[in-house]
Amino acid sequence: MSFARRHLWLPPLIVLAMLALAIGVMRPSTFAIDQLNIKIAAAMTLILIATGETIVITRGGIDLSVGGMLSLTTAICATRGDPGPIESVAWIATILLLGVAVGVLNGVIITLGKLQPFVVTLATWSILEGCALTILPAETSGVAKGWVDLAHATPLGIGVPVFLLAVLILTWVWFRRTRIYNAVRAAGSNERSAYLNRVSILGTNAWAYGLAGLFGAAAGLYFSTQTGAGHPTVGAQYVLPAIAAVVIGGTSLMGGRGTLAGTIFGAFILTLIGDVVFLLKLQSYWQWVMSGVILMLVVIFTGLSESRAARGGE
Amino acid sequence: MMRLRWSLSPIALAYAAALLLFAAVSLYSPGFANPSHVATLVTLASFIGIVAIGQTVVIVGGGIDLSVPWILNSAAIVTTALAHGQNLPLVWLVPLVLILGCAIGVVNGVGIALLRVPPIVMTMSVNVITQGLLLIVTRGFPPPTAPPALTFVAAGKIGPYVPMMLIVWLVLAFVMVVIERRTAFARYLYALGSNRAVATLSGVPVTRTIITAYAISGTTAALAGILLTGYSRQAYLGMGDPYLFTSIAAVAIGGASILGGTGSYLGTIAGALVLTILNGVLPIFRLDAGALRIIYGFVILLAVFIAAPSLRGLFKRR
Repeated sequence: MSFARRHLWLPPLIVLAMLALAIGVMRPSTFAIDQLNIKIAAAMTLILIATGETIVITRGGIDLSVGGMLSLTTAICATRGDPGPIESVAWIATILLLGVAVGVLNGVIITLGKLQPFVVTLATWSILEGCALTILPAETSGVAKGWVDLAHATPLGIGVPVFLLAVLILTWVWFRRTRIYNAVRAAGSNERSAYLNRVSILGTNAWAYGLAGLFGAAAGLYFSTQTGAGHPTVGAQYVLPAIAAVVIGGTSLMGGRGTLAGTIFGAFILTLIGDVVFLLKLQSYWQWVMSGVILMLVVIFTGLSESRAARGGE
Repeated sequence: MMRLRWSLSPIALAYAAALLLFAAVSLYSPGFANPSHVATLVTLASFIGIVAIGQTVVIVGGGIDLSVPWILNSAAIVTTALAHGQNLPLVWLVPLVLILGCAIGVVNGVGIALLRVPPIVMTMSVNVITQGLLLIVTRGFPPPTAPPALTFVAAGKIGPYVPMMLIVWLVLAFVMVVIERRTAFARYLYALGSNRAVATLSGVPVTRTIITAYAISGTTAALAGILLTGYSRQAYLGMGDPYLFTSIAAVAIGGASILGGTGSYLGTIAGALVLTILNGVLPIFRLDAGALRIIYGFVILLAVFIAAPSLRGLFKRR
């Protein structure tokens, strides 16, 4: 096993460093601390949603419904009026639990029906976005001011998103050593042998998709507090970038191998592409073209190197 | 023969669902079965049906095409932008736009067959890239109105009640069913969809078959885009978005397994009808777009559950 295959996060880190350097040269103020706050705040929605996607893709599946989850939770957040502190905590807990519940349902349907993950999650995406549109027919501001203020607080000059990112990374450091994540990885690399080693496929899928739902809901919660508004159809814009961040980060679409560090770098790469497009004075639509092209190129190259590695191993 | 026997019952089921649904709604709301309303429903169904030709081919071959929304939208916008509301340019524009759609499909096929990119990722990327490029070229402004000839075909009627689109759809459906039953391409496609490894070993030209399948899907999406501009009299951004879910749902309702290897366009036609009737029901019950998305989701789930060959193994431990 080569160095690069053991350290999946290394290539995306190098790309990210080069991108940051290029932007730094074009606009020297990039590395100021408040700029760092802004960049992390901008990337955090994608990071959260891509974290869930990392777990599902490591499991060997895919979750398109996170887009619908994102739309739905922003819609819920924008229609809560102005709740007090206790009510707020209750609502946030409810929203996160809803994400878990929908995700677990995805996992259970996929496992029991032996269905392809993408069809099931495509269907639940449609259902969730339908619910979002029913709750909130059009984009409206209306997220509680307290929530928005909380998300924009900067204790010690460091933004809340930075703390969130730190918490996410610390949690992951613990999570990746747990039995659950081991089961996810084992089932993703070889479902049959995982099953023969007494890994419960149903349980593993429930965990993987449940966590994806949780992070989808968290992303929606975060997104709505950043914008102060509910966006009942925003999810569609995040499905491809979420998968792209995971794949650019070095997680294999075949399952079994994943890294959150890589996903975070991938999310930053995609966010910084927006900056490059802006600095080059190109139309903002170039961002979509570039992220699509990068995703395709990364998948093509990793696919080719994987098949070469497979041939070499025989 | 085996294939026919297996696929016959889900297709019959899909047509039964369409008929039952139509009868139920007509009893509840008598205006629903009014001939001119039926003509409208058939016209609307035909657009889903045309996009779903390609989606059927791709899904039978074991793939999926998520790039139809913006291929459709590009075709619509390129056609209206270059025709400037005139009929004459259509003579060269329609073939050109169909070739454009076909070319995007070939890109999909090459990525999937030769470069081994998973179909979901490949077609999703192509969708975003197409969308981005289209918006860059048009700078986000909507183009002028559609040429009248397109409106004549897409919204016109022969006599009082027979929509032109019914004829177009029937011709395309006939061609598709002949292809499905009589050509080597279809045999390869079914073989590929049921088991790629076995198909490869038995000498199916895998690469060529996959590329052809996605090329057909690109072409039919483009054709639907051209006709849809005629129907709505203009092209607008986002007009293709509903056709992602509906084309996949039509195929799933029609009884094709999403895993590939089975299915027929005859079933997809019933799927397109079911979806259009569902869509037409909404205003009667005062439901909104959100409710439609929810219903689509449940219908896709239900359809894949019914079609799933593993249903019998539901309570067996794997």
